[in-house]
Amino acid sequence: MAQRAVWLISHEPGAPLGGTVRFSRRYPTVEKRAKVFNGASYVPIPEDGPFMKALLFELRLLDDDKDFIESRDSCSHINKTSVYGLLIGGGELWPVVAFLKNTMIYACVPLVEQTLSPHPPLISISGISQGFELLFGIQDFLYLGQKNDTEINTKLNQLPDLLLQACPFGTLLDANLQNSLDSINFASVTHPQKQPAWKVGTYKGKPQVSISITEKVKSMQYDKQDIADTWQVVGAVTCKCDLEGIMPNVTISLSLPTNGSPLQDILVHPCVTSLDSAILTSSSIDAMDDSAFSGPYKFPFTPPLESFNLCYYTSQVPVPPILGFYQMKEEEIKVKITVNLKLHESVKNNFEFCEAHIPFYNRGPITHVESKVSFGQLEVFREKSLLIWIIGQKFPKSMEISLSGTVTFGAKSHEKQPFDEICIGGTAYLKLHFKILDYTLTGCYADQHSVQVFASGKPKISTYRKLISSDYYIWNSKAPAPVVTYGSLLLVRCHN
Amino acid sequence: MEAQGSGCGTMGPRGRETWAQRLGAFRASPSAFMAGPEGEDLGCDLLSELRSEKLSEQTKVSLLALSLEYPAQLWPDTAAAEAAATSLLDTLVLLPPRPSALRRPLLLAATTALAAGDALGPTSAASLRLLPLLLGLASGSDLGRGFGPASEQRSLQATACECLRELESCKPGLLGGRLGLLRGLLGQEGPVQPLSLLLALALRNALVIQARARAGLQGLLMAGDAPTVGIPWNWALAEEGAAHLQPQAPGWPATEVQECGLAVLEPSPEEARELRAAVAQLLDTSYLLTPVAQAQLLWLLGWALRGLRGQPPVLFKPQLVRLLGTAQLTLLHAILALKAAFGEALFTAQDEALLLRRLTLAAQHPALPLSAHLFYLHCLLSFPENWPLGPTGEEAAPLLLGPRLCRGLLPSLLHNPMALLARLHLLCLLCADDEEKEEKAQDWSPQHYLEELLAGLRQRAALDGGPRALATLCFQASYLVVRCLAMQPAVLTPLTRGLAQLYQSRPALAPHFVDLLDRVGPELGEPLRVVLRQEVVARPGKDEALCWHLQILAKVADGNAQSATLGFLRAAAARCTDWDLQQALLQVCRALLRAGVGKGLADLLQALARQLEDPDGRDRARLYYILLAHLAGPKLGVALGPSLAAPAASSLVAENQGFAAALMVQEAPAPIRLSVGPRRAEGPVPVLQLQVEVLEPVYSLELRFRVEGQLYAPLEAVHVPCLYPGRPCRPLLLPLQPRRPAPTHLDVRALYTTPSGLTRHAHLPPLLVTFADLFLPFPQSPEGDKQGFFEELWDSCLPKGAESSLWCPLGPRGLEALVSHHLEPFVVVAQPPTSYHVAIHLPPNSRLLLRLEAAQVDGVPVALRTDDWAVLPLAGDYLRGLSAAV
Repeated sequence: MAQRAVWLISHEPGAPLGGTVRFSRRYPTVEKRAKVFNGASYVPIPEDGPFMKALLFELRLLDDDKDFIESRDSCSHINKTSVYGLLIGGGELWPVVAFLKNTMIYACVPLVEQTLSPHPPLISISGISQGFELLFGIQDFLYLGQKNDTEINTKLNQLPDLLLQACPFGTLLDANLQNSLDSINFASVTHPQKQPAWKVGTYKGKPQVSISITEKVKSMQYDKQDIADTWQVVGAVTCKCDLEGIMPNVTISLSLPTNGSPLQDILVHPCVTSLDSAILTSSSIDAMDDSAFSGPYKFPFTPPLESFNLCYYTSQVPVPPILGFYQMKEEEIKVKITVNLKLHESVKNNFEFCEAHIPFYNRGPITHVESKVSFGQLEVFREKSLLIWIIGQKFPKSMEISLSGTVTFGAKSHEKQPFDEICIGGTAYLKLHFKILDYTLTGCYADQHSVQVFASGKPKISTYRKLISSDYYIWNSKAPAPVVTYGSLLLVRCHN
Repeated sequence: MEAQGSGCGTMGPRGRETWAQRLGAFRASPSAFMAGPEGEDLGCDLLSELRSEKLSEQTKVSLLALSLEYPAQLWPDTAAAEAAATSLLDTLVLLPPRPSALRRPLLLAATTALAAGDALGPTSAASLRLLPLLLGLASGSDLGRGFGPASEQRSLQATACECLRELESCKPGLLGGRLGLLRGLLGQEGPVQPLSLLLALALRNALVIQARARAGLQGLLMAGDAPTVGIPWNWALAEEGAAHLQPQAPGWPATEVQECGLAVLEPSPEEARELRAAVAQLLDTSYLLTPVAQAQLLWLLGWALRGLRGQPPVLFKPQLVRLLGTAQLTLLHAILALKAAFGEALFTAQDEALLLRRLTLAAQHPALPLSAHLFYLHCLLSFPENWPLGPTGEEAAPLLLGPRLCRGLLPSLLHNPMALLARLHLLCLLCADDEEKEEKAQDWSPQHYLEELLAGLRQRAALDGGPRALATLCFQASYLVVRCLAMQPAVLTPLTRGLAQLYQSRPALAPHFVDLLDRVGPELGEPLRVVLRQEVVARPGKDEALCWHLQILAKVADGNAQSATLGFLRAAAARCTDWDLQQALLQVCRALLRAGVGKGLADLLQALARQLEDPDGRDRARLYYILLAHLAGPKLGVALGPSLAAPAASSLVAENQGFAAALMVQEAPAPIRLSVGPRRAEGPVPVLQLQVEVLEPVYSLELRFRVEGQLYAPLEAVHVPCLYPGRPCRPLLLPLQPRRPAPTHLDVRALYTTPSGLTRHAHLPPLLVTFADLFLPFPQSPEGDKQGFFEELWDSCLPKGAESSLWCPLGPRGLEALVSHHLEPFVVVAQPPTSYHVAIHLPPNSRLLLRLEAAQVDGVPVALRTDDWAVLPLAGDYLRGLSAAV
């Protein structure tokens, strides 16, 4: 379950080497074991340079895909997981766990405690999931909260010390690197017995509990008779519990109003101590009926010090919050567009913001727009071939708004205009971006009075809710569109 | 122990800046740095600088961090590692009692140096210092103020546990004698996580080692708190364990329990109770561990209990429900490991169904990252079922994972390529299942869905100027489908048609088509060849596509539709104006040559040899024409057999690779073994009997022999028409014509034809012709006076020749045995068992005469004469060799 080495590589498209190794760490005692366990199939960990080159090639991140290269492009070179084999120095380094996120490549090589030829199934290698967890941990540490380069550089500089704490010999002790950072600072605190390893200290101060529910709604709408529109809600409940004592117990109940949509596919944080079997089995795989468990959803847990995601869920609400259609017809260098959007009456008509983005792919820049909007205002981004319809904070009384117009394009120049592999010909979409505060689409809420805290002092309890859009697409109904069938997408021909 | 070699400590202290630069240079390329001038001293400098008072603690920590990563470079051998560990421990002891950031990294560094440098063991002084120190720290014993203020103790206690765990990992069984102590500590107020993990690992290792040694637990768990200092360390279990470090039990059903060496251990009832208590103790406090550590604990305990009889895995049950609800990759993975280890004993059919549902859910949950989805998908297809139906080791959809459960896992064009392929694999498995079912679902057909998806992929791949990744994905998907559904024409027919259309709309994908044809079986390969050939020949299209068409034709052209193909080539020839195109054209001709296409091709090649602009192309066309005219079909096939690598600067150079292999005689390792059989000792000249064995069929074998110098007359070659492995062959006779009676080596070469028609030559190991191989008897007078004949020979030797006598020791079987073994054909006068007169003719015209008389129990005096003094030493050697042989 140990790792032989870890790397962070920033991907720099266009740079001579295609990237820079920002951090690497090797574990020689694990390497020693790898040599014994892997026997003849052992391939040593390479130096940073060759490793980066091989990894960028395998991940197709070098800008050289002009020619067919068999070792990368062969039809039998199939990768179905984020685990790769890298050809280095005549041997194959395997398994290399790696993924790209926010221009950073996270990679590690778990120890396999047996021979590598033939490759044992990944499921039988304990180091694989440990490796992922380590990389996820590093990713969270680097990117949660902040985004700018200076802060990330500071955090990168902290990594060697943190890994010395969290993963001194290649066996991960805690994927939460923030904890390790805190434990360096908390070093002088004397711990009483039975201190959980995931809680490096104790809170001192005014007791308070904050619970915030964020729902994201995604949708695919087609305005076609033979294709059903789809939409889905994904919720996340984030908690921060500032409570005194080593192991305070808290129970949070999520409730639904009478017409609320049941929560499904619930995943909880490991600090949750027990789960009702109704919560465990409530799943979107099953057809919905009245017998579905509709709460209250009780989560007893012992909170860590930091803010954490108590649970995630999905839900199938009966209607999408905004229903609309988008019609686009090509006429030589022009397209004619018509958009209609309607806010459902049950939805709170009070947005923090609401916008419709209408991109045009595989075309030249916008040269001219003639348009009419019944509400809000239209902004034109010519070079990006993008229209943004700013709807604002409220829909009008009628709850229904529309846009119509004609867009003219200039000549296509390959470098500048956006390319898209889906939006070919008339296939096009508009994407809605909106946010509503103090509201959830499922109706889910955490009642302050139902929060039970077993700790000294009566805590202040605050709750927050919000709904935001994510991947909310309305497809051109006058052309083929990628269609969701049973949760997945296919291009189907248009029958209109 | 010399703590630091004489070269150490002589360098002056370096500032922080210099060290930062030096470390930076090292990290950029350790091998280059170590090869450079500064490399040699780095390890020594580092150790001495740790005691320097000028360097800040932070710099020292960074030096230690380097030693944690690169001990093998800094201290390349065991002695250096031992010395380094000693030095690090000295530094640790010398730290002033105030708080310091160095204690922890020093412990880690000493541990790393010993473990990575192979120095850990009972003879290492540093090990014998480090182990009690770590155990003392881990037990929370008061080690005096030297080990820092009380505030650091807790952290050092945890660190010591980690160090011990690493040492135990590298030397399983090291802590086998301390299990009782560790249990005791865990029950007290030690830090839960480090102690739990250490105990679990030591327990697992002890059980595995004891099980292999077929020994019981021997009360290891009940040792109680033995005092930690003062007792010599018990290395017995570690010595046992080191022998078994490989391979570790993978804890997975694919490897059988016996196979991985985990013999089934049967503990006594008392031991079983103790073991259960220890495991329960570990599991009960496991919620105090971080999720990743909980997962490690479950893997270790699962491993530990797997081979044990009478240890019901229900102990794990209370943990499972809690863990099943989480989204943690490591925890779900650990549950799957338990599932694989215990199967039905821990998971009922309902549990299995629930686990599958959770896994299905996790494989698509929007809150989880893509990498996690992909791993869960893999887990689904490798799911350890209680009662698997298919062959183990192959990916398959679990029985309980019906189409309904999978509907959220279907692939779509919007997926990332890896997700698409993973989901596509699942879809293919569903299609395969669906085919087997009698009644098909009315509402939804996986085949139809698959067809639509593949069509979408092809549409994207056909995008002009689209990224290669899209094309690659399309071909990977097609390949995957063919591999899973090769037996379903309903899938393959539209796939073949679709691919042909794809080629039509984007011929630049030709390399992908060639690659696909190389890798799929005939189910798709055959029909695809046909449609592609038709596509190319019937619709030549624009000039830009010509090079791709030729590339495809070189792959798919065969004996079918010859006239259409040749017609296409004739038309194309006019358009092949540059070197590349001409080569591609000739490549197609080559494919046709191989396929045995005759007449029309000859005309085309002749035309090309005249009309091509490039001289290189003309030469190659002429070469093909000559080959076609002169070589028989099979030989031609073989000559052009190995497909060409990328064209070199000249096509003839490139071609050479093929011809060199096929038409020239190539040296090869010999599949022939040659040995000398029993001696014949008859006839006018000595004859070697050769015995031949072959490892593969060999035709037209010619063996050529050569003697160094002028000792023998040149030897005739020996011919054998054919030889087969395992079929006896009569001995080959090789007459020798010595010019002087002397032993020699024969240099042997073999020239032969392989079953594939290639001619090869091989150098065989030399054959030894011994002195005795040259012996021939004298022709005897018909009724003659044998004694007189011998005496005549004896006397004739002198004065020209030489005389000698020597003592030939005899074995237990005496003189008679020696003579009958070696000298029988040459005996002239015999008075068994004590006296023999032997006359040997040595061609060309020497003689060797022996009198063996008055043999005693242990030897016989031999008088010998020869007319050729040069023979005397050879004869002496021969006789002495005889006594050694008998």
